[in-house]
Amino acid sequence: MGRPLDESDLIGRARRGDTHAYEELVHAHQGIAFRTAYVIAGNAADAEDAAQDGFVKAWRALGRFREGAPFRPWLLQIVANEARNRRRSTGRRAHLALRAATEQPSGDAAPSPEASLLSAELRTALLAAVNDLPEDQRTVIALRFFVGLSEHEVAEALSLPEGTVKSRSARALERLRASYD
Amino acid sequence: MTELERALVALGRELDIPAGPDLRSRVRERIERKPRRRRAVVLAVALLTALGIALAVPPARSAILRFFHIGSVTIERVETLPHAQERSLVAGLGPPLSLREAEKIAGVALVLNAPRPRRFYAQPGLIATLLHYRGTSVLLAELQGDQMGLTKKFAAPGTTVEPAPIGSFGLWLEGGKHVLMWSAASGEIRQMERRLAGNVLIWAEGNRTYRLEGGLNMGQMVELGRQITR
Repeated sequence: MGRPLDESDLIGRARRGDTHAYEELVHAHQGIAFRTAYVIAGNAADAEDAAQDGFVKAWRALGRFREGAPFRPWLLQIVANEARNRRRSTGRRAHLALRAATEQPSGDAAPSPEASLLSAELRTALLAAVNDLPEDQRTVIALRFFVGLSEHEVAEALSLPEGTVKSRSARALERLRASYD
Repeated sequence: MTELERALVALGRELDIPAGPDLRSRVRERIERKPRRRRAVVLAVALLTALGIALAVPPARSAILRFFHIGSVTIERVETLPHAQERSLVAGLGPPLSLREAEKIAGVALVLNAPRPRRFYAQPGLIATLLHYRGTSVLLAELQGDQMGLTKKFAAPGTTVEPAPIGSFGLWLEGGKHVLMWSAASGEIRQMERRLAGNVLIWAEGNRTYRLEGGLNMGQMVELGRQITR
């Protein structure tokens, strides 16, 4: 049995037209691609289309991918762009919601440290405050904290200078602090 | 990380974000279509060259230009137009819908960087709406990929066809009336009315084909088209 291929091997093979290798890249990144698209587009149908189109466009653009560069931010930039186009085309603002209580993990297990950090009221208030942020700030916060991207990855995904992401993030956190404190 | 930032991370885990679907098979199916697309592009470039020659040499027009493809649209020159009637721009497109309903039926998200009308029309693979521009109604139709086809038949020399400076490439049809028909990718003619069409701008951009129809000249229509996809 051969060793598992690392990402640069997969990218190299995909660039040579190996669709199986690209399928493995899709498998590895489809979760975060969908989540990125979801927080931008605001609904599952558009997020799915954006992620799918993003993967197809990334395949077609692999020839322009800089060898040795990280694949994820490059891919997410394409996916985020697709998601923003869909959001603009619908004219609807993305609005995130909490899971219904019945869908939360149940049983006797103790809540995670993160979950116990927030009371139900605080969760609701904080999410309302996030949803009320200006779109550019809301997107940065959602990608940074709900998707889990680094500031550098957020900057890449949104095609923004890292300094702009930092300043938007700081302004947004300042506004959110008022709801949280 | 501050307490607020930790709270945001915790909030992210409580959000109603569905698990994404497994995209592997659909992505694979689409990327494996690429060779055919590449051939189609080569063919389109060859046809565009032929069209350029045809347009540059008027006597050659009728001899060379028999048909042309742009994305999901086929334009075909015929000796005699099929029977068709003057009908409204939205004839055969179904009842007016909300944008959400139309996008659901079409499976296509509308691209329109302009004030949004309230009524939309849809068929699988196609979304359309009526715009009002420079005092006249213009039908905007957008088709995604090659899931559906429009066929336009025109009878030379009543209709002129020329390249239009928009998108990856575009065509402008003006003059004599031509007949518009809608067909599914399978080749089956859908149960839609044939109708006579007026001035039309068709262009391809990315994986989408755009079509504008109405009583504008080419310059005005290109201006509107560029605004839509800006």
